Order: sequence, then structure tokens, then C-alpha cells
Amino acid sequence: MTIDVFWRIPTHGEPSSHRARSPFRGDWFPGNDNRTLSGLSGGGDDGFTYIDYLAEIARAAEISGFQGGLIPSFPNTDEPWVISAFLARETKNFRFMIPFQPGFLNPVTAARMTASLQRATGGRALYNIITGGGGPSQLWWGDPVKHDDRYGRTTEFLDVLKGIWAGGPFSYNGQFYQVEDAGLPDPLSKEEYPEIYFSGSSDAALASASKHADYYLSWLEPFDLIKDKFARVKERTDQLGRKIKCSIRVDILARPTEEEAWREISRGFDNIPKDVLDRYKAQNAGDSVGASRQRGLRPQTINSYKDFILSPNIWTGFNLLRGGQTLGIVGSYENVAARLDELVQLGADAFILASTPHLEEAYRVGEEVLPLVRGKAGAGNLRAVA
Amino acid sequence: MANQFYWQLPTSGDARYGDATRQRRGEAADPNYPVFGSGVTDPRQNAFNYYDYIHQVTKAADISGFTGVFIPDNPDGEEPWIVAGYIARSTQRLKLLTQFDASRGSAVYAAKNAVSFQRYTGGRFAWHITEGNSDEHTRKQLGDFVPKEDILARIDEFITVAKGVLTTYPFNFVGRFFEVQDGGFQGPLSSREVPRVYLSGSSDEQVALSAKHADVHVLEAAGHETIAQQIARYQQAASTNAPEFALRIDVLARETREEALADAKRFLGQTGAPIPKDESSLLWPGFAAEYTGANASLIGSYDEVAAALAAYANLGVTQFVLAAVPHFEEAYRVGSYVLPLVRELTRPAQKQAA
Ligand SMILES: Cc1cc2nc3c(=O)[nH]c(=O)nc-3n(C[C@H](O)[C@H](O)[C@H](O)COP(=O)(O)O)c2cc1C
Repeated sequence: MTIDVFWRIPTHGEPSSHRARSPFRGDWFPGNDNRTLSGLSGGGDDGFTYIDYLAEIARAAEISGFQGGLIPSFPNTDEPWVISAFLARETKNFRFMIPFQPGFLNPVTAARMTASLQRATGGRALYNIITGGGGPSQLWWGDPVKHDDRYGRTTEFLDVLKGIWAGGPFSYNGQFYQVEDAGLPDPLSKEEYPEIYFSGSSDAALASASKHADYYLSWLEPFDLIKDKFARVKERTDQLGRKIKCSIRVDILARPTEEEAWREISRGFDNIPKDVLDRYKAQNAGDSVGASRQRGLRPQTINSYKDFILSPNIWTGFNLLRGGQTLGIVGSYENVAARLDELVQLGADAFILASTPHLEEAYRVGEEVLPLVRGKAGAGNLRAVA
Repeated sequence: MANQFYWQLPTSGDARYGDATRQRRGEAADPNYPVFGSGVTDPRQNAFNYYDYIHQVTKAADISGFTGVFIPDNPDGEEPWIVAGYIARSTQRLKLLTQFDASRGSAVYAAKNAVSFQRYTGGRFAWHITEGNSDEHTRKQLGDFVPKEDILARIDEFITVAKGVLTTYPFNFVGRFFEVQDGGFQGPLSSREVPRVYLSGSSDEQVALSAKHADVHVLEAAGHETIAQQIARYQQAASTNAPEFALRIDVLARETREEALADAKRFLGQTGAPIPKDESSLLWPGFAAEYTGANASLIGSYDEVAAALAAYANLGVTQFVLAAVPHFEEAYRVGSYVLPLVRELTRPAQKQAA
């Protein structure tokens, strides 16, 4: 068995390096006025839109050997279904991983959209099922349902989706969803059911994931914690008589030498605006268990980038450089690959990697790091091959 | 403003003949029923599917001068937003008019989807919002359990919320179907074009809703007199708001009327439908309704069909949503032979003379 490696599509714009916030690509970043509106040429109306840059990244990722990419979905980002459909014709292998929150679509509509996207892409659509981080953002989306109920809704949604897919007529009478004699029309019904990644760290999340997910997806956490988490998910799923795999979403910063890699981080850290650091210290919002697990890793004192080094090659300040999750892997090509292999030993079956800028780094990681990763073929691999 | 012409994309199959609707062009053939004889190699295998054909129809509409494509929502066919996204990057100019009903899910999410469409296409995305199927059981099959009498109210809320978050921050709303707190798009997602809203229906309630929200009111194919009455009635009911009117109608146009009649009869023969006794009318009710969803088709020579369309334009119709089977070849035909005549007949100077 081999591991699957995905890349990521930056749906919210990105800086051109880890060192500073500008020059900036795309047109969104909190508090950044130095925007490049269309192409990269300086913001003039050159006829390009941000999808042109995203198309470049998707092509770079598939050419460099990635399975495809995760297309994050947040209030300020572009919309992953749209991006996937737009890029269907100009990519060959790229698989579109759509973060998808069940509350937002009627499951019958979702089934038809998914089957249509499978037809449009030759079966390259898959889901990252998300259930929402709660707090103000949940109501921004127009979703008043509470944390654990949302997972109940997610479970129901996937019950219905799977039921429809298995061939109609399918009926269901749940708390959130009802259908009567539902099905998919021919020839949409011939498509493959999308592979399901699933994220969420709470108990409610694990319960839903163990019933429906192919892959449980987690942000990187300290290695001992992630090992436990994966063991828990797999055990729980085993009890249901199913098998689940585990996957990690993590940013990496890899360079030919350790020194070069850390120089990027140190430069980036020195360029963090003061207000960003202040906000960081005050941050606290939402009911996401996963997000507060990450917040718990904040260092006590903050004087240098070194305060954020948790363990060899693991740096916990990534959210300060570009928003998003905190932990990332920093180091030489060899060491980054070694850390990924370590994570495979701890239970990872797939990765979603990313680095800034996503375009050039897709080539770098594909050419320099992935060839060094041994995955499950490594000597000393004690895991049984399933 | 010049009249707009939309060509309908066949989202649930298309074929040359009226009796082969199950066949979808571009779809891989069933290996048990090869298309070619056993002596001829079929090189296609699985290289294409129906999306490649939809893509060709789109390019045909673009090349032959249509303003946009209309992407109908047939529950037996492809999902319109996926189709719209799939074709978007292959077109520079075409508007993408997508049809759906408000049972599809969150209005905020729909608005979000629209923002990305507008950002990536320069504002070419539009919405035709319908009431969905009128049959209760069919709607339950589609996961919609909202009672019939609430459907217009849901559309009302859907549009209110979608327009609200597209244009206002912070936007707050608590309704029967949707609820938003401090919603609305910010930064580059804000201030994008609200999709043009198309609504339809001729009951008092439908007209009232349309007058409240629609940019374009869609009329189903009918004779000129009926259309004139519907427009007059609508304008009376909605005196404060005068949207544009669109007409959804099929066209079967040939160089001569004889050819058009012969092809129309052949098509009906294939579908098994009876051939009307009175062939003199230009408008054939129900002609290809089962395949295109349109109430009726104009059948006649290029000149006759163009004159009939121009006459609708004179009544106040400014947008036409046209279709004919098969959609690919007919897009070129209508674009090349009929539209230029309609444009000529509806040039402002001509209109005054008429
Ligand atoms: C790897 C990963 C990716 C995620 N991507 C998204 C996303 O794109 N959009 C989103 O709204 N939530 C995303 N989430 C949030 C989770 O799906 C989930 O809603 C959140 O962690 C709260 O659930 P919890 O309390 O169970 O942790 C992601 C989470 C993880 C771990």
C-alpha cells in the first residue's frame, strides 16, 4: 500500500514568500492593502482573474506528482465547487478535494452536483467533509445549528448521500433531512462515489467520521498527540467493523539545507507586523475543538522565532506568517521527508501538503521532497500492510 | 439596448432524432451494443463524455453570435452550476443563465457561489429561479418537503438573503426559511455584481414576487396576442417596477417553409406524437416540449421565424431563450440564418416604421 500526497489551492490569495506579506498574489489577505488584483503584473486590468493563477497552481501540482489539492472554503475565500468546475477541462489528473459543509446544500442537490462534477472531471472529485467552526462565522453562513447537532446533521447528510448513490428509490426520515424515493438519474448514477476525507477533532466529529469517512483528516499536532488521535479513530472505526485511514494537512518549508530553511522562517518572523502578534496573543473564538487544540500550543514567551520550535523541524508559528493552522515542518529536504516518514509510522496514510508560494513550491516539493519520502515501503516499517 | 439571445444547453441529453433521446452524444457506447459494425474500429473508447458535447454546443452558441447560454435544471440531467463552471473558461463573452429552485440549500451559500462566478467571469452569471416541480411526490424525491403554498415565500426569502449578503455588511435576517447574523461579503468578495434575477409565472402572486425581485420576467411560449396581454397585465400589476421580458420559445427554421414542415413532421413521427391537422400556424404547441421544456415551437422559413420573433420584440420582449434539436447544429443554423434577420427587423429605425 502506498500513501497519497495532495497539494492545496490557496483560495484566499497568498504572499510570494514566507519572508514578507508582499508582494502579494491574488486579492485577499486580512489587513493587507498591497493587493495584486488580477494577474501578477501589478494590479492593472489585464484581463486575468484569480482563477488564472489557481489554474497555474493546479497544473503545477499535477505535473509535479501530487494527487490533486484541497480547496479551502471560508467566508472570505472563493468557492471550491466553482473552482473545481472551472478547472475541470484544463487539468488531467488533478483531483479536486472540496471542503463541504453538509448544512449548506440539500443532499439530493449535492448528489447531483457531485455526480455531474464526476462526469465533468472523469471522476476526480472528492470531499473534505467539514462541519463548521461555530462562533460568529457559523451565523455568518446562515447556520444556527449547535456544535454537536451539526455533526448529527453531517451524519444524516452522508447517510442520505450514500443511500441515493447506492441506487434508488431511497427514502429517509431524519431530524434534518427527509427524502422519499430519491435516486440519481441515469447516466449520472454510474459515477463513482467520491472518496471522503473528514475533519473535526471533537468526540462528535470522531463518531460521525468513523461511520462515513474513508480518511480522517487532521491538522498536524505534536507527534505523540497525533499518534493517539489516529489510534483512537482507527479503534473506534474498527469497532463498527469498518476501516478508516488517517491523513494530515500540514505546511512545509523545505530547502537544500537546514540553515536556508530556518533563514526563511527567521526573516518571516522579523517581518510580522506588531498588530498581528498582538492579535495572536488575544485570539479566542468559536467552538472548534480542533482549533483550540492548536491554540493551546502558544509559547509562554515570544522573543524570537526559536520560541516556536516544538520539536526537531516542527515550528508552531505558521499562522503568524500566513493565517491558518499553526504547526508546520521546516528543514532540509532530507529532514522534512524524514518527518513525513515518521508521521507515516505514527499512522498517516495520506498528506495534504502546502507551502508558500503554492505555485513554485509545488515544483520544489514534488521534485525535491516527495522522491525522498519512503512511505510504507521504508525498511523498519513495522506496520502491517493492510 | 439590443435584444439578447440565449441558446439553451441540452443538460439532459441530445440527439439528432426525436426517437433517440436516450442517446447522449459523446457518451461512451455500451460495449454490448457497439455503434459501428464489427468490421470498423471505434477509436473513442472512454475518451469523451457528454460534457465534451455540451462544451461544443456552448462554443457553437458563442461563435454564432448568441448573447448567452441558458442552462436548464432538469432533475434527470446535469446540475446547472457544474455545467456553468465547466464551460465558463472556454467563453469570453457568453452570459451564463442558470436555472434552479430555492430548495437547493442555503441562500448565503448560493450567494457565495455567485461571487466566485462573478469574480472569475467578469459578472456574466445570472439566476433563473423556479418553483421546482409542481408534483408533491417529485419534490419529495428531490428532498423538498416544504408545502406547495410556501414555495413562493421561500423564493422571496432566498432572494432577499442572497441580495442582502451580496450588497450589505453587516446583513441580518431572521425568516421562516433562512437566518443570517452579521452576514455579508467583505474585501474583494464584496461589491460584486448581483446575478441578474429571472423569475416566471403568471398568477397574481407570481407576478407580485417578480415585480419585487426580478430583473427579467420569463414568459412561456404563446401566440402574440397572449404575450401582449401577459405583458400588459404584468405592467398593470407591477406599476412601480418594469423588468425586462424574456420569451422561452423553440424554433425550427429552414430555408423554405416546406422544408421546415417536412422536418417538423419527421420529428413528430419519430417521437410518436400526432401531426397537427392545421399546418398553417407558425406556432406549434407542445412540439418538442418533452425534449426542450418549451411550451411551443415556431416552425417556418428563416424569414417567417425571424418576423415572428421580431413581432414579439415589438410587444416588449427584449430577451429570447431559444432552443432546437439537435442543439449543436441548430445553434449554428439559428445564429447564422435567423438572428441576423431579427436584428435587422428590430433595429430602432425599423421599429419606428413598423
Ligand atoms: C485539515 C482541516 C481542514 C479544514 N478545512 C476547513 C475548511 O476548508 N473550511 C471550514 O469551514 N472548516 C475547515 N475545517 C474545520 C473543521 O472541519 C471543523 O469544522 C472544525 O475543526 C470544528 O470541528 P471540531 O470542533 O470537531 O474540531 C478544517 C479542519 C481541518 C482539520
